[in-house]
Amino acid sequence: MSADPLAQAERGVSLWRDAWLRLRRNRLAVAGGAVLILLCALALLTPWIAPYDYREQNLALGAAPPSAAHWLGTDTLGRDLLTHVLWGGRISLAVGFVATAVALAIGVLYGTVAGYVGGRVDAVMMRLVDILYALPFMIFIILLMVIFGRNLVLLFLAIGAVEWLTMARIVRGQVQALKQQEFIEAAVSLGLSRWTIIRRHLIPNTLGPVIVYTTLTIPSVMLLEAFLSFLGLGIQPPASSWGLLISYGAETMEEYPWLLIFPGAVLSLTLFSLNFLGDGLRDALDPRIARD
Amino acid sequence: MALLEVEELSVWFHTRNGVVRAVDGVSFAVDAGETLAIVGESGSGKSVCCYSLLGLVPMPPGRIEAGRARFAGRDLLRLAPRALRGVRGNQIATIFQDPMTCLNPFLTLGEQLMEPLRQHRGVGRRAARARALALLDEVGIADAERRFDAYPHEFSGGMRQRVMIAMALIAEPKLLIADEPTTALDVTIQAQILRLIAELQARRNLAVLFVSHDLAVVADIADRILVMQDGKVVERGAPGALFRDPQHPYTRKLLAASRRGRKDAAPPAQREAVIAVEGLRTWFAEPHGRVVKAVDDVSLTLYRHEIFGVVGESGSGKSTLGRSILQLVRPTAGSVRLGGTELTGLPERQLRPLRRHLQMIFQDPYASLNPRMSVFDALAEPLRYHRLADRRSVTAQVLALMDDVGLPRGAIRKYPHEFSGGQRQRIAIGRALATRPEVVIADEPVSALDVTIQAQILDLILALVARHNLSLIFISHDLSVVRYLCDRVLVLHHGKLVESGPTETLWQAPQDAYTRELLAAAPMLE
Repeated sequence: MSADPLAQAERGVSLWRDAWLRLRRNRLAVAGGAVLILLCALALLTPWIAPYDYREQNLALGAAPPSAAHWLGTDTLGRDLLTHVLWGGRISLAVGFVATAVALAIGVLYGTVAGYVGGRVDAVMMRLVDILYALPFMIFIILLMVIFGRNLVLLFLAIGAVEWLTMARIVRGQVQALKQQEFIEAAVSLGLSRWTIIRRHLIPNTLGPVIVYTTLTIPSVMLLEAFLSFLGLGIQPPASSWGLLISYGAETMEEYPWLLIFPGAVLSLTLFSLNFLGDGLRDALDPRIARD
Repeated sequence: MALLEVEELSVWFHTRNGVVRAVDGVSFAVDAGETLAIVGESGSGKSVCCYSLLGLVPMPPGRIEAGRARFAGRDLLRLAPRALRGVRGNQIATIFQDPMTCLNPFLTLGEQLMEPLRQHRGVGRRAARARALALLDEVGIADAERRFDAYPHEFSGGMRQRVMIAMALIAEPKLLIADEPTTALDVTIQAQILRLIAELQARRNLAVLFVSHDLAVVADIADRILVMQDGKVVERGAPGALFRDPQHPYTRKLLAASRRGRKDAAPPAQREAVIAVEGLRTWFAEPHGRVVKAVDDVSLTLYRHEIFGVVGESGSGKSTLGRSILQLVRPTAGSVRLGGTELTGLPERQLRPLRRHLQMIFQDPYASLNPRMSVFDALAEPLRYHRLADRRSVTAQVLALMDDVGLPRGAIRKYPHEFSGGQRQRIAIGRALATRPEVVIADEPVSALDVTIQAQILDLILALVARHNLSLIFISHDLSVVRYLCDRVLVLHHGKLVESGPTETLWQAPQDAYTRELLAAAPMLE
């Protein structure tokens, strides 16, 4: 950081810029972010770097332990596991990030508006959330799949549409507490519009719990996808996802442990990285938790 | 030998940022029937000093580095935790600043009162109840029998403090530690509680350690005063001598901050009304159909370049009055005119551009600043929003504001938590001035601050009012502050206007009984 605070101010000081500067100094968070970027890069490049075609079977080979030809071994149909982990990563990461982003966007906005406007608007908005909560989630998704057919985009939307409910409730609670604070009253008396107050004063102050909940949502969404796929509602072989690989691997873990170990390790690595990055972001976005 | 003799007590805090010498070589003694006041500002170590005697300082980071505290033949600092528990609440009792947070909201008063008796003395239920009732009576709780089974929230602040005192006294302690026991109370209630403590002390031959930040409060009750600064005793003596002839510069500074004096009556050059409030009512409907008349038929006129004081105790509706004028709370009836514009009933959209002209300074500078906005952000937001600055001029304007309110320019990137209370209030004042308002309403802007800091902020406000031709409504419970600052005053009681007029006229010849009571109760150093 440059020593001259005035020069910094010229370039525009913002919470986000400051947060970035603080995040950069948190080694664990940076490492977590780097791993996630690496995984995403691998997922994007999969069609070019995967050692085999994901449809290719080798029944003669069967389930083989890791070897020079198949680094992570093969499954019972003789399919290369590394190839499947790479292709599966595309699906899992996409579901995880897209569905969570959908949930995050809807939930934060909805919760903030309900909490800030309050009164009757809040009552109506939150009853809607209650109703959606009460809908049996599986039936909802099955219905969507039956009506619109199996479709990856739909899967994203369906999961996102369910996960935002909790986010909205968390944010609403935060905002209700925040709007009692005098700095919100100060913002009103400055003549700021509601939207400006929501954007500049409320949302940044709800970020702590939101980020923590987000890092919890991404893995749960990935596992949800595995569950749906397992039921035949999500991804179908020969395509795969980490969740699917893990659930198949779990069935044969005694005979062919590598089928569980490798996909499990990749998922765990992702979750660890997410948590480190999430904690780092939460701290970085709160100027009160300065390390120096 | 005195009841409590503290010698060379040192309590240090070992934090990540180094050692803080919270208490550094402090000695004092209190005897039965005597009141020793420890006076100092926040961070002076006055509370740590008392709590370390009771083993209530968190350790780590705290550590008692040296010293002795002889109480009834034993050294408190060397007692085992178990033995200390027997002393605490039993021989040494404590009352705290905020009686609400010190009472368990889920237990009735009776249960909480009897607890120490049953705990320390093994007294039976029936005997404990009789004892508790007698004591409630003694601390002035009327109808003790009926109030015995009430819960803390059913009592007012003053009543709760009485209950706390009863609770402290129930085990017949020899020493009472009172840590700012009246700071959270209104002046009239404060006077009652101080009188009560003095009476109980005389009757029971109690030794009292009275911790306070306010010299005026301890002036009447203390036998001896200890002035602390940065963990050290800078001066000690009897109140009379100390006030007449303070030796240490810090004591002089404290005294000067408490003796504010009065404002020179400067006749206003022109009487142009900026704000005209007429018949203002702000009522709130409670869930059970009860209506709280927070502001009930108040009229006032604020003239240009004038400082207008609004005085009242908690619950008098003074804050609601300020917020109603600003339309932060929508009034139920009445009229508020800014220049020629009627503000009540104006839709928010049309009100927004006008809000620029009316700004507010809030009481708590910790709550009134967005913790995620740096000084630059906080000051630049109103400038940009109201297009008072463009991209190129905004930094220069923010710096000009910072100069104006006395913030160092290098602090521009810092966040609120990195500042002291007084500096935060400067940021909040800067934000209010950013929109170049005509009228500023300051709601208890100094009551969360230390006395010497209060003096600085008050002088800053006076300077800014003159420099920017502001008209100021100053809301306060502190009469000495109002007298120092205001040209005219309005007294509020239960939402109603009791009396109003030029400050000195009201001071010299109060017309209303309530005003007289208020003035009499206010602790003054003369």
